[in-house]
Amino acid sequence: MSFNNVIELKGLKRYYEIGGEAVKALDGVDLEIGRGEYVSFVGPSGSGKTTLFNMIGGLDRPTEGSVLIDGVDISKLDAYELAWLRCRRIGYIFQNFNLITVLTALENVALPTVFAGMPHDEGIKKAQELLESVGLGARLHHKPTQLSAGQQQRVAIARALANDPAIILADEPTGNLDLNTGTEIIDLLHGLNKTRGLTLVAATHDLKMIKVSDRVVWMRDGSIEKIERG
Amino acid sequence: MAAGERRVNLGYAEAFRLGYNQLIRRLDRSLLNVASIALGLSFYTSLLHMDTFYYTYTALGGASLNVEATYYWLVTIALAVSVVGITNAMLISVQERVKEIGTMKCLGAMNQHIVLLFLVEALLQGLVGGIIGYIVGVVAALITTGGTTGYDILLKVPAVQSLTLFATSLTIAVTLSTAATIYPAYRASKLDPVEALRYEL
Repeated sequence: MSFNNVIELKGLKRYYEIGGEAVKALDGVDLEIGRGEYVSFVGPSGSGKTTLFNMIGGLDRPTEGSVLIDGVDISKLDAYELAWLRCRRIGYIFQNFNLITVLTALENVALPTVFAGMPHDEGIKKAQELLESVGLGARLHHKPTQLSAGQQQRVAIARALANDPAIILADEPTGNLDLNTGTEIIDLLHGLNKTRGLTLVAATHDLKMIKVSDRVVWMRDGSIEKIERG
Repeated sequence: MAAGERRVNLGYAEAFRLGYNQLIRRLDRSLLNVASIALGLSFYTSLLHMDTFYYTYTALGGASLNVEATYYWLVTIALAVSVVGITNAMLISVQERVKEIGTMKCLGAMNQHIVLLFLVEALLQGLVGGIIGYIVGVVAALITTGGTTGYDILLKVPAVQSLTLFATSLTIAVTLSTAATIYPAYRASKLDPVEALRYEL
């Protein structure tokens, strides 16, 4: 078991069948991502970035090969352990935020602590601290629709941190944001990566995100084309 | 960390809190479901009470009166219609929340947690619909029979019998509401998070 690599991908393949035709979304990806590393995945749409994300996030299962998180092959986990992994080890950030619209910012951030079994008051307190840390202390009881896009993404980031995960998976986190807001979100994520030692894995087209990453992985047709040091 | 600790959970208290939130914040749809249960149930409750009122009236020395048996066929159909209505409303509700369910699964929710959340909503809707339906039903029964039996007949029914009728009505409301939600809840729980997150309404 390796303790330095928080994520290991070994010969990872994912084939789909669409209309009787095999689509090789991922076609043999090998990669190791170290603890506290900031890795950006870059590539045209259809290059396999999202599929790779779903694999690392334990949302999809490989056709062949394996994904190891903390040295554990996640295809060998049962439903409980997989849910635990999603809940406690991984924080997800999406391009379109995916906040629960009927819940307030505070309730959204507290939601993962519910599944983690944290007592209600403790979860709310944690959520409040997190929202304050992302600069939304004055917006605790606002609904997502009452917040700007940038604020919604901050809520999503706070939610991703709720159970102190080791890994943050961010799929185009600045894709729906304007330039300035995008920069603020990048600074926030970069800061979390540095101060909390979080492993940050991001898919992006955003040059500013690529610039601050430790490594940039270029994807093409389901394979790694090249890896650059940031 | 020990294997035993690698568990996610959703306590009943939290499930009720979340379910209640959903109901309050999607009030229009929940009220329609409540109305659907209340309507079907009020019909049923009114028949039961008319029967009881006539029986009490007879027992106290009045003429012998009954509710016609065909009404029970009608009430069965009315209850079946409300079940179908709730199932339909809940299926639409699942469709509206596909992304939300996918997100919850990313945050650690398991299939059984999604089912639990929907069943909590069904239970609460059943309770509220049941209470409203009960009250409407009793009033309707009084209006129908009161001319013959006297409106004070309600007070002449033995307390145990009244309580039994109330409990029966609530049980039926909650059971029907829950039964109507089983299939939609099952569908929701089986959503694949990858598909769900990609879903656009």
